[in-house]
Order: sequence, then C-alpha cells, then structure tokens
Amino acid sequence: MSVVTVQLGQCGNQVGQELFDVICSDAEEGQKKTYSAGSFERFFHQNAHGDLVARAVLIDMEPKVINQSMTKAAKSGKWRYGEASHFSQSQGSGNNWANGYCVHGPRNRDVVEELVRREVECCDRLAGLMAMMSVAGGTGSGVGTYITQCLRDLHPKSFILNHLTWPYRTGEVIVQNYNSVLTLAHLYQLSDAILVHENDTVHKICSQLLNIKQISFSDVNKVIAHQLGSVLQPAFTADSHGVYSRNPLGELVSALACHPEYKLLSVCTIPQMPSSSIAYSTFSWPGLLKHMRQMLISNSKMEEGKFCSERTRSLTGFGFNRSLANLLILRGKDVYCAETGGFEDPDLYTSWLSSEESFTLWKSPVLFNKYEKSVTLVSNSQALLRPLDNMVRSAWNMFASRAYVHQYTKFGISEEDFLDSFTSLEQVISSYNQLC
Amino acid sequence: MQRSKSAVSVEVKQVIGSLCKLLAATGLEAVPTPETIRRAKFGGGVEVESLFRQLLANILKKTGIVSSEACVQFKGDDRKLVAAGLWQTGYHAHWIYAREEREGEGMEGRSFSSKDLLLALGWLLATGTLENLLTQRVQQLDKTLLTSIPANTEVSDELQLDSASLRKLQWLIGNLRHQGRILLSMLEERTQLIHAVCSASVSSTTPSFSDQSSTVLKDDCIRMRQLCDLLEAYVNWKKVEKSFWTWMDSVVECHLSEPVGKRSTHVPNVSPRVCPNGNPELQKLEDMLLKLPTAQKGQRGCVWDTKDIGKERTHSGLDPSSLPLLFSVPSLPSLSQTYRARLQAEMPVRHSSYHIEGLDERAKAADELQASQAAQMLLQTEAQLLERRDRQRMANKVLLQEMIGRLDELVLIPP
Repeated sequence: MSVVTVQLGQCGNQVGQELFDVICSDAEEGQKKTYSAGSFERFFHQNAHGDLVARAVLIDMEPKVINQSMTKAAKSGKWRYGEASHFSQSQGSGNNWANGYCVHGPRNRDVVEELVRREVECCDRLAGLMAMMSVAGGTGSGVGTYITQCLRDLHPKSFILNHLTWPYRTGEVIVQNYNSVLTLAHLYQLSDAILVHENDTVHKICSQLLNIKQISFSDVNKVIAHQLGSVLQPAFTADSHGVYSRNPLGELVSALACHPEYKLLSVCTIPQMPSSSIAYSTFSWPGLLKHMRQMLISNSKMEEGKFCSERTRSLTGFGFNRSLANLLILRGKDVYCAETGGFEDPDLYTSWLSSEESFTLWKSPVLFNKYEKSVTLVSNSQALLRPLDNMVRSAWNMFASRAYVHQYTKFGISEEDFLDSFTSLEQVISSYNQLC
Repeated sequence: MQRSKSAVSVEVKQVIGSLCKLLAATGLEAVPTPETIRRAKFGGGVEVESLFRQLLANILKKTGIVSSEACVQFKGDDRKLVAAGLWQTGYHAHWIYAREEREGEGMEGRSFSSKDLLLALGWLLATGTLENLLTQRVQQLDKTLLTSIPANTEVSDELQLDSASLRKLQWLIGNLRHQGRILLSMLEERTQLIHAVCSASVSSTTPSFSDQSSTVLKDDCIRMRQLCDLLEAYVNWKKVEKSFWTWMDSVVECHLSEPVGKRSTHVPNVSPRVCPNGNPELQKLEDMLLKLPTAQKGQRGCVWDTKDIGKERTHSGLDPSSLPLLFSVPSLPSLSQTYRARLQAEMPVRHSSYHIEGLDERAKAADELQASQAAQMLLQTEAQLLERRDRQRMANKVLLQEMIGRLDELVLIPP
C-alpha cells in the first residue's frame, strides 16, 4: 500500500522534502526488515538503477524551491525525486488565493493530473493521497485547493489527507487570513482529514526544546517532518495481528475523522530535544504518557514541564480541551509494557462517543528517528479551535471593511464566495465549541 | 429515441447478441439465438414461442421468483409457471388471465404470442432480474467473496433523535464508509493479484508446472475465467444497453400499433372477455391497475409531508404491508420509481385499446387525472421550496448587512 504525496507551493515542497528525508533515514536505520520494507513500499519506489524514488509530485509556480528540494534530495545519496515528477512555471501566484485557485490551477490542471496519474500507476495499491501545503500564500493554498479538488474528482474512493501549515499569527503575508479562510472552507468539503501544524507552536519547540538560536524555516520544517513521520511510519494497529498496518491514511482517517463536521487534526510528539542530548537522556513510558495526557488536557502542543496538577484543574472547567477522538502512537523499546489506560478515560471525550470508538492505539517496537521512546498524539479535539477562531475573526474584520477584496474579485472570487467560506467555517467553529 | 431507426437496426443484432452472451454466462440454459429474439418482434412462430417460454421459465426459476415447490406443482407446465411468475414480479398482461379462463372452457391452443413473451422478457430485464442473476452467478463462482450477513434494518420506535445520537449515528456512518473504502481498495489489490497469477499461469505452458498444479487450482482457474467472462459480458452489455431499450421501445410501439383484429388471432377468444361485466377477473385487474398509482402517490406524499421522517418511514415508506394492493407481489424488485411509474402508466392505456368504450374512457380519465395531479403536486412543492429558499436567503442577507453595518464604523489598520 503506497501513499502518493503532492507537494504544493514553497512550504509544501520544503516540508515534503524533509519528511521524505526523515522517513528514509529512519527506515534505513530500522533494525527490522519488515519495518523498513513496509516504509519503503509506502513512500518510495525503485527506478531502473535501483535508486529509491519518492512517490511524490512537486508543484510550484516558481522553479526555485523545487530545484532546491530536488538537489537536496539527490545530495542525500539515499533517495531522490523522480526526474519528471515536478511541475513549475516562471510566474508565482503573488500570495493571492484567487489567482492560484482561479487562474494557475485550472491552467495547469492537465499537466498536474498527468503527473499524479503516473505516480499513482507506479503503486501496486494506492492507500491514499497526501497533499502538503501552507494556507497563507497563493500557490500552496490556492493551487493546492484546486488540485485537491481535481484529486477528489480523479480518485473519489481514495483517502485524501491534507497536511496544512498554518502561518505565524503575527503575520507573514497581509492577506494570510483571507487565504487561510478560503483554503480551509474549501478543503473541508474535499478532504477526508486535515492535519495541521501551526508555525507558532513549531517555532516554540525549536526555540525552547531544541535550543536553536537562529531559527530558520529548515529547522521548523524538520520538526514538522519528525512529527509527521512518526504518524506515517508503519505501526501495529489493534487488529493488524502482528503485521504492520498497510493502510496508514485509511486507518488514520477512520480512527479520527468519521464525522463530516470534525476534520481538524492536531499533532504533538514527545520527547523532542537537540540530537546531541538524546544519547544522555532516558525516558520511561509512564512518565511520557502522563506528560502527554497533561498536554492533551491543557491543550499545550509542546512539553513545557509545568502543568497544573489535575486536582486544581477540574476536567470540566475552563480551558479544558475536550476531544472527539485521539490516536496515540507509541514507538520504541518495551512498547508493549506501556500502560495507556489514562487516555481511555471517558471524561476526556465527548459524551456521544464511547471511549472504544474515540481512542485508538498504534504501537511499533522499532525506534523512531533515533529516539529510544517516542509518543505521538494525533487528536481531533478543541485544540485548534482558538487559532481557527482568531484566523476567521481577523479575516472577517478585514472583510467588513472590504480591505483587499478587489484583489480577489478581479480573479473571479466574489464577495458571496467569501461569505460562503465564512459561513462554513463558523459552522466548524460552532461544532467544535459544542463538543462536550 | 433520438437515434435514427436505421442506425439502431444495424446494431440490434449485435446488441441482442451481447445480451444472449450475458444470459448464457449467468448459467441459464437454452438461451435463444439473437436471431430468434429479433424475430420475436414480428411474431415468430410456435418454436420461437416455446423457446421464449423456456427461457422465461428458466429465469423465473433461477431467480427464485417461482419457488421450487411451486415448480413441482406446475408439473412441467411452462405456460402456467411463466404466467404465475410474471404475476409475482408485477407484470399483469391480459394473456396471463386469458389462460385460466380458457382452460375453464376446456380450450387448448396458443395463449400468447412470442411478442408478448418478448415484452415480458423486457419487463424482467428492466426490473433488475439480470442483476440478480449476475449476483447469484458471481457468488457461485467467487468463493472468496464475503457473503453479506442479513442485518436487521428495522428501526425501533423508541429511537431517540436527539442531537447527540444523531451525531453518533453520523460518526458511525462515516466510519462504515471509510471501512468500505478500505475494503474496496483491498478488493482492487486482490483483483490485480489474481490477474497477475492468471496471466502467469497462461504464459507458463511448461508441462512440469501444469502437472504439479492440483485439481483445486485448476478448478479455481476455470471458475476465475468464467467469472472474468461473465463480468466482461456484463460490461459489454452495459455499453450497448441503451440501444437495446431503444429497440424494445420499437417493439412496444409495434405491439400497440397492431390492429386489434390481428392481435386477436394470437389471443383467441378475446371477444367474450371484452365485456367487463362478463369477466370479473379482468374487471378486478383493471381496478387494481387504476388504483395502483393512487396508492403509490399516497405513499410518497406521506413521506414528503411528514416532519419526523425517521419514525414515519417505519410506518409507511418502506413497509410493503401498508400497500394493500401490492401485498400479493411479495418480492417486488427494487428499481427506480420513475421507470416503474412509466410502465404502469402505460398499462391501462394499452388495455383500454381493446375494451369497450366505457372502460376505455374511465381508464384514460383516471390515468390523466393521476398524471396531472402528480405534476401539480410537484409544481406546488417546487414553488414552496423556492419560496422557502428565497426567504432564507433574504433573512441571511439582512443579517449580514446588519453585521457589516455595525462593523463599518470600525477603522481597520492593517498590521
């Protein structure tokens, strides 16, 4: 079962490259053959020379980032991108969602579809498609949304997972909230699940946990790739009976996102530390799991070491992060001794789903990315409610004064389209708000 | 019917050929040749008729419309069996009743023309019999297929429709849908693997290999090949199905345009039955046909009007016992409502063409009334829905304008 990744825009192409890097090096170091084989089958195929070629399509409107990613991949010596599986042109989308969605997307539809089709044909069996992009810019968000729509049309029965990078709150692009709102509202109809990384959170992980002084995009992308890799690498599921599950996207989606109103997934992984410190640290499963549970309850996506004790914080009180469904992924030594009962507590979840339906556990005894033990939690909870609400509110405030709207209407996105998007996201916000 | 008739006639033989192939692939015995079926449109003869009768009897037996006990009862009398079977599927043609009566009078002879039987075959195909046959055959051939577990689909009356259980239900439906997709992709992979194995076994002609292969494998291989042939035949049929129905339309037209006198040679002893008073059975059938659309309309209206759809459905919508007129047709196949409605609407018209004036008018009036009522009802509903939509739009617009109005006073400084 293989996953075809579609990397869109600058962010998508950079994160994608880091992801394949993490996956490839992790699978190569894996002591178990079946684990490596499973991972390679999932993300790579072999070309005539025996090189590992990523099952990926690279799409950007400018050639620069694609060239960089391809060169980096080739330089790694372990894997590469397919020679012809990329598409770029010379003119960007100018951070305008409408330009990407209404102009660049439709114009290049055939080429992109052909690239994806070729990549899909290389798979013995397609587990699903993963589109990676940011929501702030024009190409990732606009073209990405359009391409996701095409993928949905082409593969109506395949699983489509969108990995989105949400921008810094302080702002990268003036119209980032417009772009984000339009992207999210559209993807909510198309995608099976939307996996989100927030730049702010990841930035904090880089500065506070990894002690990086000058944080570059590459550092941020590495953290995202680490967390994503930990979700996507092979693992045993409850009913896989000692065989690595072969349908990562399908299992992920059916564990977490079965309800059409709840599709936003957040991810966090512990521990994360500078690679130099890993060798000198020891972890215990009870400690890690307790930590992760506290992070889940208090909705902190980064381990900070200071938590209110559970007694002072009532489970129903303000600031409690209610979950709809959680997927816990444990990787590393003695994984079968880990006791995960704390995550099955019905108080963590909404009342209308039983904890058997809400909680899923994956395990793998193979060390992940050099960490002796690693816990990853993918959560469909209220965790993303606040950033989403901020995003929609900022965009609405701008829209109320019609700021920059003419930039969108000139490409064919009407005010009505904006209003539709606002409405559908308000619905999402209200659904998550009512989760109790 | 946009296609020109000449173009259709060229294709007809091929189209019927693909149907015959498919019927043969589903395991039916004694499938007539394409030419026989084509000739049936123009009357055929005794031998064509008997071939058709046999085919229909086989289909009815195979799909279980006529039970095996009933087959024993009929003691090999295909005519009775076909008539009874067609009645079971909801096909009520005059010749089905003609038999009983004539037998009572002790008359022997041809009871129905091959064209009647051809139309009956068309009815069976249109009601999904072909798909039933196909499913049966596939289940026979494909031993790895999971048989569906009969599930209790009845919804209990105590079902609470609060938002929490509704959400849970939506979640479970979503989960099932995802599981379905996972299974589907597994099926695709399996098909690919089977194909790989099949093509490998075809290409390897070394005797040592074939010697080693066990009989089980051989059987499997034969079954798989049969399955492939069957599915291929079905795909071919699906491609040309449209043309077949165009041709079938022409058969119906031809049947309707035939002068009454000519038809009566095929169906002897028609004249006594024309009088409705003299034939209570026919009268009963006629009444039944006239009431049928009313019953359906009532049933549909019921589902539309109700607010509490979930509850109501258990009472009216899907329960056949609520339709007193349909209870005698226990295994009414599921098919699209529109198609059924059309065929039934045609029936009274067809019948009326050879009955006395009074009945004719009555049938026509009833039929027209039904259609116009239905159309009016649809128009009304459409108008209501449109009005409701417009109202909703208006309300939304006002709300948004208010909100924007409030925000207009804010001065926004971009960050």
